Amino acid sequence: MRIPILKLNDCLLVSIQWELDDQTALQFQEDLLHKIHETSANGVVIDLTSIDFIDSFIAKVLGDVINMSKLMGAIVVITGIQPAVAITLIELGIGLDDVLTALDLEKGLEKLQQELGE
Amino acid sequence: MNQTISNYIQSHKQQIQDEWINRTKEEADERVVRLVSDRVFVSTSKEFIDLLISNFKGTNEEYTNRLTDFAEKVVRLGWPLTFVTKGLHTFNLIVFEGMQEEGIVTKENQMDIVYEFDRWATPMNNEIVSVYSSTWERTVSLQKIALQELSAPLIPVFEGITVMPLVGTIDTERAKQIMENLLKGAVKHRSEVVLIDITGVPVVDTMVAHHIIQAADAVRLIGAKCMLVGIRPEIAQTIVNLGIDLNQFTTKNNLKKGIEAALELTNKKIVSTGGAK
Amino acid sequence: MDIQSCVTIINEWDIVAARQLGRNVAKELGFGTVDQARITTAISELARNIYLYAGKGQICIDKLYDGGKAGLRINAVDSGPGIREIRQVMEDGFSTSGGLGAGLPGVKRLMDEFDIESSPGQGTQIRASKWLR
Ligand SMILES: Nc1ncnc2c1ncn2[C@@H]1O[C@H](COP(=O)(O)OP(=O)(O)OP(=O)(O)O)[C@@H](O)[C@H]1O
Ligand SMILES: [Mg+2]
Repeated sequence: MRIPILKLNDCLLVSIQWELDDQTALQFQEDLLHKIHETSANGVVIDLTSIDFIDSFIAKVLGDVINMSKLMGAIVVITGIQPAVAITLIELGIGLDDVLTALDLEKGLEKLQQELGE
Repeated sequence: MNQTISNYIQSHKQQIQDEWINRTKEEADERVVRLVSDRVFVSTSKEFIDLLISNFKGTNEEYTNRLTDFAEKVVRLGWPLTFVTKGLHTFNLIVFEGMQEEGIVTKENQMDIVYEFDRWATPMNNEIVSVYSSTWERTVSLQKIALQELSAPLIPVFEGITVMPLVGTIDTERAKQIMENLLKGAVKHRSEVVLIDITGVPVVDTMVAHHIIQAADAVRLIGAKCMLVGIRPEIAQTIVNLGIDLNQFTTKNNLKKGIEAALELTNKKIVSTGGAK
Repeated sequence: MDIQSCVTIINEWDIVAARQLGRNVAKELGFGTVDQARITTAISELARNIYLYAGKGQICIDKLYDGGKAGLRINAVDSGPGIREIRQVMEDGFSTSGGLGAGLPGVKRLMDEFDIESSPGQGTQIRASKWLR
């Protein structure tokens, strides 16, 4: 199963709807970078509302894809991280320090516009 | 022998009761008497004497039930355990002295009667202590739950702005609970800014600071911003002296300033509506 | 102990199976969403370590009952290369594989009890439990 990536103006929208296994996560990394390249998108919103846990592997893949996107000129905003996920990430010791976050997709797009506008 | 004591108590019930209330009231810690009204004191005392007397008759089970009920009642009234055990002792004393006066206790049977009293009073004493302490434990654990429920309320003050006032000592268990409430509440109220007010936290040590930092970090992950307000001078001192780095998040010295900053962050402003001049 | 409560870890899919098993047991025992996420994450870390470093092993989930308390224990066993410097791997950020190195110290923080036994060349056994509050 591949994670669908939607295009909205100059942004890409990704909503992860099911539990990520390692392969899907890596595939997603690949797909997203290609899509950014293809569309010259300036921003990406990744929505994690449906994800109920993130371990260090998936956190690393996410962190990596954010940095890689940045290198390609696209800002990434992560949205919808659930309380339980936030707590486990912090306790694991993964702060995702420089990552932009927002409460939900709508706020995420707002934040992206803000960042891109400045 | 037991019968002798029992008979005496049965026939002198009223007298013993009055005497007990008199003596106890004299001796009683002011605390106890002040806690309840005179009427409640007298009626509870009567109940206590009844309870002691029922130990001589009635079934064992009946007695245990009554004892439990009674213990719960006095715990609720706030009567100290010493008051109740002393009350038992006073009861014995009154009965013994009364029996002496009436010549029921003689030099010959004195020792036997003392033993008899002891045989009766010791298990009773133990039982009172055990019922009392288990009632206490239950009360304490109920209070703990109640405290947990009220310990970390999350108050939405404006759209997108939420305040969590922390009150009291924070241990690891509570810190986890607070973090959970904070995050779940922030998501539920769709808060953009969460203000943690620590005015009511008496001590901020490394452990507490660590938990606050973790909470702020987690708040950032869900997509909101965390602000710490109400840092008192002595707390600022300990934080710096302990080498705790709180630089990565905004702090304000009181809730008012914090809310002002939060309003600014969410592009809101409070304006007075004319008529002021 | 129930046969069903163990998952053999050989490939990446088994990691998913192990954490699903853990989540189900956690749910069944009445753990809240945050503890469920803690437990699932801890299992994922331990299972992935087996997959990456030992090649093959097993994750078992036990229910614990101690007096009035109920809990859950993750038991991760392998007969891989073992860990030479236990103290070192329990430090944040230590990784031999370019990972975040958050795995083992993270698991310890996520769970209530943590215990690791390992001898080089023999294998590794890690037990981690969480109690219902
Ligand atoms: N079951 C195991 N058998 C052998 N070595 C192990 C085992 N588990 C862990 N290790 C060793 O311990 C080190 C630390 O493990 P840990 O899970 O903490 O970090 P990591 O796996 O390297 O990175 P991360 O889990 O953050 O992606 C590993 O790099 C590995 O060398
Ligand atoms: Mg690992």
